[in-house]
Amino acid sequence: MRFLPLLALLGLPAQADEKEADTCLRTKIWAGYNDGWAVRTATSAKLGAGEHRIYLVTLYEGNEYKFLVCGDNNSSDLDLVIHNAEGRELARDESDDREPTVSYKPETTETYYVAVYAAQLSSGAAKTQAALAVTYR
Amino acid sequence: MNPTSLVLLFVLACSGTSSETPPEKEPAKATEKAPDVKFDIKTLQENADQIALVPSPAEMEKALGKAGINQKLADMVTDRDISMDVDNKDQIAVRTGVVLADMILTVQASPKDKTIGRLKRLKEGFAKLEAGDDVQRTIDDLIERLNNDAVSKNDLLIELDELSGVVVPELEAEAGEWVVPVIQAGSWLEGAHLISGAIKDAGKYEAANSLLRQPAVVKYFLKYVQREGRNKAPDEVVRTLEETLTSLEVITAKEQLTAEDVTKIHSATGAVLTLL
Repeated sequence: MRFLPLLALLGLPAQADEKEADTCLRTKIWAGYNDGWAVRTATSAKLGAGEHRIYLVTLYEGNEYKFLVCGDNNSSDLDLVIHNAEGRELARDESDDREPTVSYKPETTETYYVAVYAAQLSSGAAKTQAALAVTYR
Repeated sequence: MNPTSLVLLFVLACSGTSSETPPEKEPAKATEKAPDVKFDIKTLQENADQIALVPSPAEMEKALGKAGINQKLADMVTDRDISMDVDNKDQIAVRTGVVLADMILTVQASPKDKTIGRLKRLKEGFAKLEAGDDVQRTIDDLIERLNNDAVSKNDLLIELDELSGVVVPELEAEAGEWVVPVIQAGSWLEGAHLISGAIKDAGKYEAANSLLRQPAVVKYFLKYVQREGRNKAPDEVVRTLEETLTSLEVITAKEQLTAEDVTKIHSATGAVLTLL
């Protein structure tokens, strides 16, 4: 039984789709292996419009890092922002879409903050599922 | 929309017939875009999730090479069979983490039987931690393909990387939220022990600052090892683990690590590992 199309037509809020976000992220992770990337951690969170999830990460001097985010169909723009341990912004994605990516090569081994922010959801969506992967090479 | 159309739509939506074309997943019209967000340090500190805090053993080895020390950690991993036949669940989680680290670091060089043996130990550990069926099925699948020579060592490394980085952080930890951090603690301890050994062997102590100064990671592990509700009478391994982490919290917070600090890290991590 498939109720979701009808619910959408009736204007009810769409539900966050964890599987869609995870599948998208897993595809990106596997594609990255061909270029020498490996995955440290993948995780996901449910976000409403304007909500964020912040992650503390340890990054090694010398390694290259790429942060990958996949949102489900309920999001139209997710933002990804990297800060150092003092809170200074170091990098952010420049795209207006639901699959932001940021590459960063730290100058020192330190803890950093990675923020995933739901800047814009699709019309009628109450929540979106945002999956994040920390990859390195 | 009239009632007839609504009923028709309902029937169509619920029919689920195989001839039906799946709906296109085009983005719906978007709501108004929020302005670019800025985060202050207080917000970052108070809301930070630590699920991605801990580097993986393979990542530690990558950083070792970038620091100019090209020793293969696989050559330093002790050849041993770490039993899961213990009662204390903290200890099982530590053992599981160490086996996971050893397997990832050695999979390219180990004979098939050795890797299968480690996978079986991992499965045993996860089962005792009541970590859910998904991880058990993933390990069974890997063992079967290894037995049938249906997976290359390169692909196996990728799949173990995914097991460690994607499957483990999402474990159904029926035994408690402490399970994943304590498994990570086991893997990190093994990684830190091998890295400190490689620094000592190479005599490149200046590399310790970029490879071993991780006080936030140690503090994170301590929080879970010293949690409320843990076994009131921890066994020797868990007691030694707590002592080791307590000393590492002080050492790894130093501005500059010395040769003496590297030696202390190596012996403190070794004190736990030799008990397993």
